[in-house]
Amino acid sequence: MRRFNYDFFLILITVVILFLISLLCIGGMFYYKWAELQNVAPAIKMAFQEQMNNLLAPFLIALLLTLGLCIPKRLFPANWLYVFIILLGLTGLGSALVWGWHEALLWMLVISAALQSMVLILVVSGQRLKFLCEGYWNRLGSSLIHMGLVLFCMDFFFLSHRDLHLVIFWISAICIFIGMIVIFYAEGMMK
Amino acid sequence: MPDLGSAIDLYQTAGSLLIYLLLIAAAALAVCIPWQKKQPGGKPERVAYFLILGISALLAAGSVLVMWFHWEIYQYVVLRLPENLIHEINRWLAAANSRSSYTLPLYDPASPPRYVLPFWLENEKYLFWFLAYAGMAFFAWRRLSQPIFRILLQVLLVVQVAALCLACNPFHQPLPRFFQEIGPWFSPLAPMSRLGLFMQFYPKLIFYYNAHYMWIHPPLLFLAYAGLTVFFAACTAMLWTGETACETMAYAHAKASYLFLTLGMLLGYPWALQAWGPNWWWDPKVASSLMMWIVFSTYLHARLYLSRRGMWGFVGGLGILCFCAMLFTFMASFFFPGEHTGQ
Repeated sequence: MRRFNYDFFLILITVVILFLISLLCIGGMFYYKWAELQNVAPAIKMAFQEQMNNLLAPFLIALLLTLGLCIPKRLFPANWLYVFIILLGLTGLGSALVWGWHEALLWMLVISAALQSMVLILVVSGQRLKFLCEGYWNRLGSSLIHMGLVLFCMDFFFLSHRDLHLVIFWISAICIFIGMIVIFYAEGMMK
Repeated sequence: MPDLGSAIDLYQTAGSLLIYLLLIAAAALAVCIPWQKKQPGGKPERVAYFLILGISALLAAGSVLVMWFHWEIYQYVVLRLPENLIHEINRWLAAANSRSSYTLPLYDPASPPRYVLPFWLENEKYLFWFLAYAGMAFFAWRRLSQPIFRILLQVLLVVQVAALCLACNPFHQPLPRFFQEIGPWFSPLAPMSRLGLFMQFYPKLIFYYNAHYMWIHPPLLFLAYAGLTVFFAACTAMLWTGETACETMAYAHAKASYLFLTLGMLLGYPWALQAWGPNWWWDPKVASSLMMWIVFSTYLHARLYLSRRGMWGFVGGLGILCFCAMLFTFMASFFFPGEHTGQ
């Protein structure tokens, strides 16, 4: 038996990306403090936000690609997955070249949301998909949390549309909340 | 605020008494620790049990006192305007509303704006946070009789009570920033100055002090912090003793804390957009909270591999790192500038 499987490496990659995002967050905090000490004008602070967003973008894309592997892994065999991720990467790159990075990210999120919806429907209907965790409730909880996270990321693209943004936000928050309750407590309550 | 003067005096006197009692109980609990080490499971443990219960009760009494004080503020601190200014202020408010996506209610002379202050403002937040910890520690203490875990819970409670009494006593000077902020309202002012002051106070009253989110976002985070402290004690005991019961206890508190933390952070997001607009993004507190959430998520994912070689220490270490990240996040608002400064 292999000591570390595909899931383990996927989690490891995700952790490394998240760790790098954490470092970026801490770096940003110290930069912000420095800006205060140097009396940097608010206009430059806006530039700081823009700069931080730009620095975050590659990590966010990497995270989306791992999410692109994490979600369909429940549906497809491993060799299909590599084809899928290459296609996702290529379409992302293509849409970035044609429409820009902003739209490319949104496109990848839409694909992730569509796939995750499919996973969620299959899990609810009791299909046995490939999950790291065992049990119906754990799988349902995990699917809901992933769905919520994808929708939460998507929400950032709709901040200027107040009503739509609030609808997406509340759906994502409810998905994450119910997902956590289900994954943490449902199994115990059912016993 | 002449009507509030006697309420403040009573609040300070009763609060001081509570603080003295808390200090005595915490000192007694600290004295119990070396005694417990000598006689685990004996009389000292029973004394410690009642002391933790007593401290929890005193903290709960303090919270009731805070609630009463806020009720007094609600009754006496009113942003009442003279009749002749009402038309003018509503014209200003309508003009401000037409330019913003989040609107302010018009002034209604029949029910002038009042402060419905939540119970976790300024130093009061420590009282709520430590009360939540005391309650959780009490139940954790009852559920697991592991001596090191129990001692750690007690040490953390003593440290928190000492910090509350000596460094952040909410009764010593009640809500200093709030009263400093609203103080000018109660001095004699020219009509236009009063209007200007109203327009300065009113948005903060609606979007900050009286906001629905204020009743959800901060308490959820303080509940998460309290749970994380018990989690830290359990992770330390888990590494120290290698006992599975400590790990189970750590995971039970990690689940609850993660739920509170995630929900608290999520619900801060629409509130921040409403109150601050888009300028809060990459605020240091937000960045550090994100970092804490990431560390916590890593712990939960790593725990899936707990049975693998070397993962016990790694998972326990991550648990301790989560607590350090929480301390860093909390302290960040005092060191780094931003929208959350001092909160």
